[in-house]
Amino acid sequence: MDSQKVDLYLMTNAKFFQPQHLNYIRERLLLLDESKWFMIQGIDLKDPTTILIVSIVAGSLGIDRFMIGDTGLGVAKLLTCGGLGIWAIIDWFLIMDLTRQKNMEKLQQLLQ
Amino acid sequence: MTRNRLYLLFFIALIAGYIYLAYAISQQQMHSTFTPCVFKNATGIACPSCGATRSVLLLAHGNFASAFMLNPFGFIIATIMVIGPFWMLYDFVFKKDTLHLAFQKFEQAVKTKWVAAILILLVVANWIWNINKGL
Repeated sequence: MDSQKVDLYLMTNAKFFQPQHLNYIRERLLLLDESKWFMIQGIDLKDPTTILIVSIVAGSLGIDRFMIGDTGLGVAKLLTCGGLGIWAIIDWFLIMDLTRQKNMEKLQQLLQ
Repeated sequence: MTRNRLYLLFFIALIAGYIYLAYAISQQQMHSTFTPCVFKNATGIACPSCGATRSVLLLAHGNFASAFMLNPFGFIIATIMVIGPFWMLYDFVFKKDTLHLAFQKFEQAVKTKWVAAILILLVVANWIWNINKGL
């Protein structure tokens, strides 16, 4: 793919991924076929900051976990009132990185 | 989620659940009004799963009707806590991953739109019921 397009994509979407993955994403995108460009742009990436706000407001209902696609753990969190409140607090610190990981998993499916 | 990670998390959750249950039984005899629920402590109104501990305790005494009236979530939690250890032991002994496969199937099922809509409606209905009961 065109290096200009790749740089544009990385500039606008850098906050959705972990910093250590950015180089890898750049290399893979450069090797990628032009026809996948629209699919790459169409991925539903979640903003870590938004998820963090959701986690602080409604973390004890498990809504943050549902939003990033961890439905199984979301149900567990809902049933136990956010793991008696403890898990909900731990997730305030984990959820941003988890969101970036989930975004990477979504992109990875197209990069291969 | 990988298989081993799921089993580790499930194991920790089960142990924490049983420890909390033992703690709740010892507290119940003293009629304490302590609640660990952050949501309830912050807002003063019950969360969807408030009363689940009391419901599980009632189930342990064989009080099915009053357990359902207190919070139907107690049935789900009690089922998981009773079946969970045996299921995990079965997988562990025979080196299978039936629990992991079931978990993945469950996650897929919950992600379908109409299933999710029904479940959300049920949870919200239970929440309204909880607030009305004044748990």
